[in-house]
Amino acid sequence: MAKSLEIQDLWVSHDGKMILKGVNLSLPLGEVHALMGPNGAGKSTLGKVIAGDQAYTVERGRVLLNGEDITGLEPDERARKGLFLAFQYPLEVPGVSIANFLRLALKERLGRDVPVTEFYARLQEGLKTLEWDEEVLGRYLNEGFSGGEKKRNEILQLLVLRPQVAILDETDSGLDIDALKVVARGVNSMRGPEFSALVITHYQRLLNYIVPDVVHVMMDGRVVKTGGPELALELEARGYDWLKEEVAHAGGS
Amino acid sequence: MTEKALLFNPDQISKARSEPLWLEEARKGAYEVFRAVPWPSKKTEAWRYSAGRLKAVPFDLPLEEPRGQSYGREALPEWVQSRISSADFSAFLVFKGADLVYAEVPEELTEKGLRFLSLHQALKAYPELVEAHLYKAIPARQKGDANDKLPALNAAIWNHGVFVYVPDGLQLEAPIGVLREIEAGVLSVGRTLVVLGENARLSYVEEHYSPDLERPSVNLAMTELILGAGASLVHANVQSWGDNVHHLYRQRALLARDASLKDLTVNLGASFARSEVGSELAGPGADSEMLGIYFADGDQHLDHYTLQHHVAPHARSDVYYKGVAKDRGNIIYQGLIQLEPAAQKTDAYQTNRNLLLSREARAESVPQLEIAANDVRCSHGSSIAPIDSEQRFYLQSRGISRLAAENLLVAAFLEDVLGRIRLENLARYLAGAIEQKVGLEV
Repeated sequence: MAKSLEIQDLWVSHDGKMILKGVNLSLPLGEVHALMGPNGAGKSTLGKVIAGDQAYTVERGRVLLNGEDITGLEPDERARKGLFLAFQYPLEVPGVSIANFLRLALKERLGRDVPVTEFYARLQEGLKTLEWDEEVLGRYLNEGFSGGEKKRNEILQLLVLRPQVAILDETDSGLDIDALKVVARGVNSMRGPEFSALVITHYQRLLNYIVPDVVHVMMDGRVVKTGGPELALELEARGYDWLKEEVAHAGGS
Repeated sequence: MTEKALLFNPDQISKARSEPLWLEEARKGAYEVFRAVPWPSKKTEAWRYSAGRLKAVPFDLPLEEPRGQSYGREALPEWVQSRISSADFSAFLVFKGADLVYAEVPEELTEKGLRFLSLHQALKAYPELVEAHLYKAIPARQKGDANDKLPALNAAIWNHGVFVYVPDGLQLEAPIGVLREIEAGVLSVGRTLVVLGENARLSYVEEHYSPDLERPSVNLAMTELILGAGASLVHANVQSWGDNVHHLYRQRALLARDASLKDLTVNLGASFARSEVGSELAGPGADSEMLGIYFADGDQHLDHYTLQHHVAPHARSDVYYKGVAKDRGNIIYQGLIQLEPAAQKTDAYQTNRNLLLSREARAESVPQLEIAANDVRCSHGSSIAPIDSEQRFYLQSRGISRLAAENLLVAAFLEDVLGRIRLENLARYLAGAIEQKVGLEV
């Protein structure tokens, strides 16, 4: 099966501290994978590095998108190749309206001018899926948004830009159960043979609504275990300590 | 700069134009002040960041003289054509060098009482009006320190300019404008006098443009804005000179009771620009909003000084200046809120924000308060910051190029100033001009 996203032996440092220590991960096209792990495991760092955040230094390894090495590319070049990161903490950009921003982003994503009618058709569809009022489009990007509104706005961007590979970084954190269902519906509406997603989450809760094909667990900068959806349930029931011991034991032998 | 190089003869300027005696006397007085006071130096507080630049300004260039040129509308320079097609001016004047080369002032406006012509035409046609107001906001004979050097020179030797008069009660909605292009290798000395009668209303836009010049020119310009009781003026001064122009500008507004000024100063061009913009709140209830936008690239040095001078009680003033610098650009802001003892119940605010797009770009920001009244509300704030790399990453992660992301962030940074201008067409034009500067490789 075609690997849409592949991480090979990725080592990444920040401010002189090694955060990712040899991550390996494969995400085939058409699948949704969950990436779980305790706080500080490096999950969010991995998401940002895949998207091209230059605050981090890649020391070794590669990120491949559809077989192409994108490790050295600018964030916008990666996005134009079909990558999308839903931020854990979306930035507020006062002075830039959502509508203007999204129209420019869509133009870049498609590599052509986008007629207003096509743009609004995409927007309307996204807003409907997310049960959101059109009024939001005139607002400045995330300015004064609640935590839940910011997350919803990330998914709106996902629905408008229709990337091939999406990384959702703790999109569930800070959401009440109703908002969580709405956001999950948005992501699920994207599922299909031409879309894959890496869902980074701390809790199993989101995975009741976005059921993953595969679950990866990260600890201390590495993927230490990969399994089916049942792995998430096991982590929910037993916590991470047993896994830590298992990893320590494996490392010691 | 040696004084010897500056052997102007204000008498000759007056005589050559058969000016009235009062003006000849005023010029003489001003010239005495000019000769008597020292040049601003690093020790002159208001000039501390630009005294070196001033020293390099070639004041000994030949004075730009009127040559009697005039154009048909079709022959106007391309930039003028382009601006008048989108600016929606109800009346406008075009200057090339010291000549008024084209005027379009509808008779309907003249019949209502609008006077809009060159200052020398006004001296002939409306001598009492000019005499009653010229040098009122920027006196010909100043008290006499280094800060008065350039105003005194201008008062002594100006030889072109604009006169605008709106009589009591006349309210004009559509803006009027002046478009001016400087010549190469000259010292250009111009003066603008805008007078609004009681409850008069006007929007007035000055735009200054030139291509990059092969030989340096100096533009020494003064603008006086005189607002009668209850008058309301929207004023914009847009400076887009090319390289090799040295721009020295002072503007003073005099606001009578309940008068309201919305001012915008824009510095985008020139190698070196120095803008001093002040409002004197002389009557209770007066309100002066002073906005500023500036953007330095290449090796541009753009210096701004604002003065909010509160003389009367119950007046309000608000300075909001925002600057951007990239490449090796240098941007400077200094401002003073000055409250006289009688200026009780004053509201005075002063904010300056600066955005740096490169490591080599520099900004200075020095807001100051001088308060002699005790029952007032005053605040000031300033900041200098590089572009937010996390915001840029966020925008880039959506496929927007680094340059386009910076453009969005610069536009967003300036958006609230542009949004406060009541001149939509001008705001749109400036947004475009700024976008070009972000993308320009210098």
